[in-house]
Amino acid sequence: MKEYIKELFSGYVRIKVVGSYTELFINRCIEYNIPIWNISRVNNDTILLSLYTADIKRIRPHLKRTRCKVRITARKGFPFLVKKVVYSRGFLSGIVSCILLILILSNMVWSITVNGATPEVEHKLKQVAEELGVKKGEFIFQLPSNQELQQKMTESLEEITWVGVKRSGSTYHFEVVQKQLPEKQPALNARHIVADKKAIITKIYVEEGQVQVKENDYVKPGQLLISGFIGKEEKSELVPARGEVYGKTWYVTNVSIPLKSTFKTNTGERKTKFSVGFFGFHLPVWGFSNPEFSQFETIVQETNLRFLKWEIPLSFQTKELLQTKEVTREYTEKEALLAASQVSREDILNKTSEKAEIKEEKILHHEVENGKVNVKIHYEIIEEIGKDIPIIQGD
Amino acid sequence: MAKWKHNLKSWLTRRLELPADAVMDLPRITMVGQLHIYIENHQGVLKFSNDEVRLLLKNGQLVIKGSDFMLKTILPEEILLEGKIEHVSYLDKPKN
Repeated sequence: MKEYIKELFSGYVRIKVVGSYTELFINRCIEYNIPIWNISRVNNDTILLSLYTADIKRIRPHLKRTRCKVRITARKGFPFLVKKVVYSRGFLSGIVSCILLILILSNMVWSITVNGATPEVEHKLKQVAEELGVKKGEFIFQLPSNQELQQKMTESLEEITWVGVKRSGSTYHFEVVQKQLPEKQPALNARHIVADKKAIITKIYVEEGQVQVKENDYVKPGQLLISGFIGKEEKSELVPARGEVYGKTWYVTNVSIPLKSTFKTNTGERKTKFSVGFFGFHLPVWGFSNPEFSQFETIVQETNLRFLKWEIPLSFQTKELLQTKEVTREYTEKEALLAASQVSREDILNKTSEKAEIKEEKILHHEVENGKVNVKIHYEIIEEIGKDIPIIQGD
Repeated sequence: MAKWKHNLKSWLTRRLELPADAVMDLPRITMVGQLHIYIENHQGVLKFSNDEVRLLLKNGQLVIKGSDFMLKTILPEEILLEGKIEHVSYLDKPKN
């Protein structure tokens, strides 16, 4: 039995030995410990016998000595079987196509999961994702990068504060933080409303609380505008003061605008190149020629191909060359002032609260110096000046 | 001298009940019906054909006759022969 297993696993051959001294050959094989078996006679000078593949070389000297000739008639056992199977065209092409298939499938999007969104938002998100290309069966290396997806999706969905995009293997996970639509929650804690900055009150609108100032009053930061105490002194009650107080505030901005400036802009001309990377070398696949334009910026996006869960050193690279142009802009003094005013308006509106309104704009003075225009502008603004502060009661 | 040694050996086997094949280098032959013949302590194959096998022994030869012979296994001192065995006989070494 043991012999039989050995025969199967090490592989053996059936050989035909032709010669007049075949018995001598058998004896020599035995003498030199070359295992042979299943010997049978075919005719007067021919015998058939089995021999391990590994011993074929060893019988050569004995064949010479006994003047026998050998011919292999059959190859048997596991190694030959394996060889036969592996080298058969069908098997080989099967394996190759299987690997290719896995390779292709490993680089496809197979599922999309959304976490933390209501069904409605989830549906919208999936639609947006599909527009961006993230859908089942899409190749991953053709999709924009995670950061890009994240940014685009956050921008295009109003209901969402933030989307986390994570790709693990062939699955896209979207982690959603939904906007909490501001529900009017009654402020439960008693509070005052005080001035946030110095201003002249223009309008007061109180929902709850007691007004402490009048219109056209000048207030300083921290001054009480709407009190949380209501009622007469003995029956006074604490409430959360609510209301809006608008006041006129003043800002001075300093802006300096260069009269002459150069910057780069994209002209809209572009060229896309595709290449396949292998161990860091890039082989262009599409887009061989250099662009006709000389000035350009490059955006490179590289995606590694995957095999099941492993990254393989094959990558797919998209290179976009965007033509750029250097533009020189020159302002006259008047134009520069206009630009300065625009810049500072934006600046001011960023600084103030949402409902701010520019009442008056006055250029205090301007001067040209070293090719720059320095402008000082004074603004009068009407904005909300109230700020809540809790009432802390000390008994 | 040789004869004296041989005599001693055969005496020892008889007296001490030692197996004769081990002490005297004699062949041990096992047969299963007519199908198999298993020979130990042979000295080599002299002739091998479909109907006759001659094995060299220490003193003489062993001749096996039959049909459809096949040497199933062959090792330095053992042979397993398969086929239809009809005849097993000894040939003595010619004395000279």
